[in-house]
Amino acid sequence: MVKVVRSTILPAPVEAVWDVLRDFNGHDQWHPAIASSQIERHLPSDKVGCVRKFRLEDGAELREQLLALSDADLAYSYCLLDTPLPLFNYVSHVRLIPVTDVDHTYWQWEGHFDTQSGEREAMIDLVGAGIYDTGFSAIRNTLGLGG
Amino acid sequence: MARVFVSTVINAESSAVWERVRDFNGMPKWHPRIRDSRIEDALPSDKIGCIRNFHLQNGDMIREQLVGLSDYDLFYSYAMLEGPMPLWDYMATLRLTPVTDGARCFAEWSAEFDCDPDNQTDLQDGIATNVFQGGFDALKRHFGG
Repeated sequence: MVKVVRSTILPAPVEAVWDVLRDFNGHDQWHPAIASSQIERHLPSDKVGCVRKFRLEDGAELREQLLALSDADLAYSYCLLDTPLPLFNYVSHVRLIPVTDVDHTYWQWEGHFDTQSGEREAMIDLVGAGIYDTGFSAIRNTLGLGG
Repeated sequence: MARVFVSTVINAESSAVWERVRDFNGMPKWHPRIRDSRIEDALPSDKIGCIRNFHLQNGDMIREQLVGLSDYDLFYSYAMLEGPMPLWDYMATLRLTPVTDGARCFAEWSAEFDCDPDNQTDLQDGIATNVFQGGFDALKRHFGG
């Protein structure tokens, strides 16, 4: 099992960041890797158990299921159901925590998965840099936070 | 149950900050409100269950027991056994987390306790400001921001 953890500090209140991140069907609005997103069976995107279908910019499709969502903890978890990548048993957790003394946001994004031997480093880089770090930068741009 | 939560970002690697705060008997070295501290019964200060007996700068005495410490997760938790504040069942946790996109450390200090509702706001404000933020401000000064 591989574990990838990435975190950053955003100079914005947690409420503003959560407002954007909370929508399980909204990642195509801010993450550059995702061309389109749709929730299957017309379920609401905050119904735990709902499945989102992504089309990536390269044309690949993947499906992910919402496992947990908490407005109290500012956190959600999801797993990959179908993907063209060698990522197996992939579960990811997103969590925001307020930085109380300056009203900023600590954002942690982590994933646990299995992969094929020989693909380990490539998948760590893809998940950590390609998905998580890229997502951090994209949210900075979306919220107009600069750098 | 009253809760207090204070957090900050310190401009240093978590390992460096942890080295400064890990010693359950070391508060006088880094927290400006603590005058002296000793561990009762000559126990090591990282033995779970040990009790620190310390004085604030104003002379008040407090006894706290270490209930959890993790060098892997960078946190410790403790319960207050005796002190001048009108509260009970006080349990607190100091936790550090690395921020991976820079050599910074996210620090959280939280507590839960019971008290008379009339005292709750004053107690929460006092703990948040004097104990938790006061400690974080000292760490930020030490590590340069």
